[in-house]
Amino acid sequence: MAVRDELRQQLELIGAIQPALHLPQNWNYEVDSALFKAYLHPPHDVGGQFDAPGVYEEKEEEQWELNTYVTCEVLGWRGIWNSEERRRRADNDLGYTLYLGIPYYGRWILAAARMLVDKNHVSLTELIEKIAEVKARYAKQ
Amino acid sequence: MSHTHSPGDGGGDHPAAPMVEEITDFEVLEIAVRELAIEHGLFTAEDHRRFTEWAESIGPAAGSRLVAKAWTDPAFKKRLLEDAVKACKEIGIDWAEPTGFGTPSDYMNLRVLEDTPTLHHVIVCTLCSCYPRPLLGMSPEWYRTTNYRRRLVRWPRQVLAEFGLILPPEVEIRVEDSNQKCRFMVLPMRPEGTENWTEEQLAAIVTRDCMIGVALPRPGRTADVHPVQKARRPVQRS
Repeated sequence: MAVRDELRQQLELIGAIQPALHLPQNWNYEVDSALFKAYLHPPHDVGGQFDAPGVYEEKEEEQWELNTYVTCEVLGWRGIWNSEERRRRADNDLGYTLYLGIPYYGRWILAAARMLVDKNHVSLTELIEKIAEVKARYAKQ
Repeated sequence: MSHTHSPGDGGGDHPAAPMVEEITDFEVLEIAVRELAIEHGLFTAEDHRRFTEWAESIGPAAGSRLVAKAWTDPAFKKRLLEDAVKACKEIGIDWAEPTGFGTPSDYMNLRVLEDTPTLHHVIVCTLCSCYPRPLLGMSPEWYRTTNYRRRLVRWPRQVLAEFGLILPPEVEIRVEDSNQKCRFMVLPMRPEGTENWTEEQLAAIVTRDCMIGVALPRPGRTADVHPVQKARRPVQRS
């Protein structure tokens, strides 16, 4: 098969797995190799994929977005993570549902929270308690 | 979340509705992560404050000054094309800020791409949103969308036309894909009708979009106009 046709078919397959609300898939006895390859395609590698024209908007920055940017950078500055693990794994290797579904800086802050737990800087309980405490603090105001 | 506000929200004749604004899950998570990191000594509140101060100081105005200087000073242009990071220092932009080794995600490597009458450059980051932050500030939202990243590399002429930039077929379009290790900025051609202009006048027409390559500078065009999605709680600049 011509390389161009093959690429086109891959892009179509990848496009087809992007609607990411999954239904039960309990009996996957076989996956053909084209589909296997499409499954393994990293979600963030989107160059050349099909899409319809859209409106190219600006977005005013939220305070939490700037804070998130700074927190992630300062964690790097202080050696808590490096940019490889942070970007390629934590921000991007999330599967299509999260990668396409969560806002840009939402992925960043989620990545930072998971990293703190994964590296045992905080325990999961501590994180969950902190989240509850912050919610309660702002609910009172 | 991004579509809960229409462009007209908060405007018009009605008084602001009294509301108990709910804090979003991402706002909660941001506060939790920042406070835990400080409590555990991973960084200090002062680190965060210093970095924020730097982040608020960057913006496309620096890039505009750089282009204006390159247009008026051929020797500077030569230095800029040879070693852009070094040339940035001449207009007061030090890529080593704010940590002494740059930001953790902007590797200190910038290449300036010079447009010619037959060659136009445009920048994308297909994998994420790599962007020359120290020189142009934060990337615009559209630059981060999968739509722009998907389509620009394959249909550059169409995408540029959607930005209002229609290039004649004899102009080759070169799409540069940014990455973590190298950032790019477009040096557009100086437009006609700007002879004898000062650097300051020239800088005013070099907008951010011109340096990404989705617009061309021209006399009278001093702003990039896009629809704007408003923030619920925008950054409070100090």
